[in-house]
Amino acid sequence: MNWTAQDMDTYLQQIEYIDTLIVPLLKVETTPGDMKRSASSSEFLMHLTMFIETQFKGRMMLMPPFAYTTSTDLTEMAATLSRDLSVAPFKHVFFLTTDSAWTSIKVDGEVIWLPSIPLENMDPQLRKTIIEDQLRQALPRFMEKWSEQ
Amino acid sequence: MSKKVSRRQFMSYTLMGVGGFMASGMLMPMVRFAIDPVLQKKDEGDYILTPQKFDELTEMPVRVDFTIKDRKDAWYKSDVSNTAWVYREGDTVIALSPVCKHLGCTVNWGGDENHSDQFFCPCHAGRYMKNGENVKGTPPLGPLDEFDVKVEDGFVYLGKTKPNTLV
Repeated sequence: MNWTAQDMDTYLQQIEYIDTLIVPLLKVETTPGDMKRSASSSEFLMHLTMFIETQFKGRMMLMPPFAYTTSTDLTEMAATLSRDLSVAPFKHVFFLTTDSAWTSIKVDGEVIWLPSIPLENMDPQLRKTIIEDQLRQALPRFMEKWSEQ
Repeated sequence: MSKKVSRRQFMSYTLMGVGGFMASGMLMPMVRFAIDPVLQKKDEGDYILTPQKFDELTEMPVRVDFTIKDRKDAWYKSDVSNTAWVYREGDTVIALSPVCKHLGCTVNWGGDENHSDQFFCPCHAGRYMKNGENVKGTPPLGPLDEFDVKVEDGFVYLGKTKPNTLV
């Protein structure tokens, strides 16, 4: 499900089936030298989360990305997010990011870190394959959580 | 002699001419509107070429990816990639939509090890038979949608989805 009014209606009717929340965490870098890389990794993250959403539309809710800049205190951000997201009625929360800093931060839910792959110069077919491969990397993490119940 | 046009004749010719012109001005558009449905061009552009060759199809469903170029959503133009599960039954090609009828996840052929000859939805373990029929007792409530299919020059073309006609 996407974070849209229409999908939200479906979600509210089928609340017992859609038990997983996907939260993209997006680092926005502002120094001219890093902007290109930052843009590329945000493109990658958005493509990937959109693909995950189409594959698991009936079980996952994709949140709008949470963007932060370089000097954001991630520990504090993690605490705020954990607190606020715990109110939402989701059993499983997954944070998807390309920023490796999140791997060492404690947050309620699973952090899935994926190295960013520059997609901008690829032809659509290759891009699709790469995105699918990346999902295959993350898939065991989802399945593991889902099978725990 | 007597080739002279009388005043009365002149009047009636003129009135007929003008009247006929006005009547045809009114009738022509009406006739055009009436026969318009017959003149409508059939939209052949709805079928999309896929990279799948007809000869390579078997009775085993395969995944076929295809792209709808320049789809317009209001002012937003984009290429939409789409997928179908395609297989052959005798000489007919059957293409099923991968969208689960439960909540819209993407289903896979043989995704469940215990039921390798069925479509499987990983979200809530929904299953469908090869013809798209939903397996009773799993969450989906209806069969998978079907694509309009045609074969031209050895390649498979896919059209719009329609409710399943095989079940």
